Amino acid sequence: MSDTWIVAEKELLDLRRDRLFAILIGFLAIASLISVAVASADFRNQLDAYNLYVTNLAQSGSTVTAAAPQLFPLKLLRGGIEYLEILGALFAIVLGYGTIAKEKYRGTLALFLSRPVSRFSFAGGKVLGLSIVWLGVVVVLTAVSLVAVVTIGHAPIGGIDVARLLIAGGFAWLYLVFWTALAVGLTALSTRLSTGLIVALVIWLAFVLIIPQIGDTMDPDNQVPGGLFATLNIQKTDELSVLAQFSAFDGIRNGLEVSSVTKHFERLTFAFLGIKDQYNQLPLGLVWTAMLPYAITLTAATLASVVFAALATTRRTLQRNQS
Amino acid sequence: MNTVLTSARHEILCTLRARVAVLLLVVFLGMVSLSSLIGWITNTTVTRVYEKILADGLTTAPNPFAAVSALYYSRNSVIYVVLIGALMAIILGVQATLRDRKSATVDLVLSRPVNTVARILGQFLGLGAVIAVVLAASTTISWAAIGVIIGTPLGVDPTLRLMGFAAVSWVLMMIFALLGMLTGLYSRKETTALLVPFVVWSAIAFVLPQVGTAARPVALLNPVPALAASGGTSFDLIGALTGPFAITEQFKRVASIVLRDDSVTGNPVASILLLLAVLIAMIWIVVVTPRRALRSGLNE
Repeated sequence: MSDTWIVAEKELLDLRRDRLFAILIGFLAIASLISVAVASADFRNQLDAYNLYVTNLAQSGSTVTAAAPQLFPLKLLRGGIEYLEILGALFAIVLGYGTIAKEKYRGTLALFLSRPVSRFSFAGGKVLGLSIVWLGVVVVLTAVSLVAVVTIGHAPIGGIDVARLLIAGGFAWLYLVFWTALAVGLTALSTRLSTGLIVALVIWLAFVLIIPQIGDTMDPDNQVPGGLFATLNIQKTDELSVLAQFSAFDGIRNGLEVSSVTKHFERLTFAFLGIKDQYNQLPLGLVWTAMLPYAITLTAATLASVVFAALATTRRTLQRNQS
Repeated sequence: MNTVLTSARHEILCTLRARVAVLLLVVFLGMVSLSSLIGWITNTTVTRVYEKILADGLTTAPNPFAAVSALYYSRNSVIYVVLIGALMAIILGVQATLRDRKSATVDLVLSRPVNTVARILGQFLGLGAVIAVVLAASTTISWAAIGVIIGTPLGVDPTLRLMGFAAVSWVLMMIFALLGMLTGLYSRKETTALLVPFVVWSAIAFVLPQVGTAARPVALLNPVPALAASGGTSFDLIGALTGPFAITEQFKRVASIVLRDDSVTGNPVASILLLLAVLIAMIWIVVVTPRRALRSGLNE
């Protein structure tokens, strides 16, 4: 059995016993369930409002017909995906920090490094262990989401929906491994344990919350409740032709958004789950073609983060005295 | 009184010496400074978009931004207080109470004739002073930036409104600082002390408003409070129950009214009283911490 696998196995054992980890994942699962329940209640309200509208129309003798709201089951998962974007990343950071912090605090690190272990076995084992844990978490969350859509959302699920959900789950796993490996590297580099955690949290704040929020704020259509173009009764084709003349501004706005790994994850999952109308009910092959650049960048970012963790977690950085 | 002032002075000194705390303060100030610039760039572009639509004869509707208040440029600061300000306050609060426990200086401090209430109150006031100075600096930056954008210094009314916004921000940030102090006092691990208030913050900022309004988590990153889903009596009912606990939404409501955001109307008094009530309750909960909790060791 290799050193790396022994470290990974120990990590899995530790996390299985960790109450804090159980609480975090439980919180994430409950938040996802709540979001499905809220989205499905919101849909039922829309349907009730539609039925009332149709009844009133019929009573007034009108022959005008209105399109009924349509339920797309995977759209109910939008809130859950957004929780994963925000809270999943936060919990991944905490887990990555905790895995290094506990070894430094308990003094088990010195014991481990006194053994003839290879250069990357510690970092590799830690990241491998956490990756397995996140895989398990993603599988559980995917199953919970699926059950929630069927039972709470009363929505039928087909084989293609399951496939879409599994692909989104794969990207969620990459995203969580990215944040956890980043936190491992930062904690290993910091002489004071809490500094590593706080620096990782500042990065999380910037890339998960602030940059996407700035991008959203700069969207001209978001400046008026209900949308600028809708308020001014502008047709979609006219809207596009007007916006084409502000491509430089939109380029900066989009550039800001795509500098955040969170936006890559969001665009991928929203496309595959059909949350974004543009990709809803589109064949998977076409979605893959459109989303390939984002899939590549998310994978590359995760690999870079894992390499960073491996390079930063050296014998020298780990054994530095705490200030 | 002496204990309170000494503790407050010590807290200010420790906070200023902590590099990470200073980093967070700089990030907060930087983002508040940027928010006016982002607001100005966006407003200018949207006005140009409207003028283009008007020139193309696509609308005859009046410019929705024609009567926008000068304080519109600082509306993004509202969300930065909820995101950066609250998290910064949590970290400062956790470090304030955890510091003594980590270094075991609490044993030395409490071997003196020191009242624990005065000690904790002093730490709270020290943090309050640091946060007040940061907010004063951010308000000054916003005031100057808006003055530059509109080409004239802000008048008395908008200046007072900016100061009012800073005061409400202080109340919200101190609530989260107290939450951090509380977990710093009771947690057995540093990780738990930092993580628990983060989870509570995320529940307050995202989960509670979502349950009450059906707003998605990312939509809650807007500076204006989420509105209840239309036509849903169930959301009205749940919103009425969860609303008072969703203090970040209450803060957004007060801030939007104070900063004259036309999309939010009404009287902010109820929300202000609610925030003050939560602040007082939190002060009481933290201050009555027993001596043995202060002296309890850490497992990490």
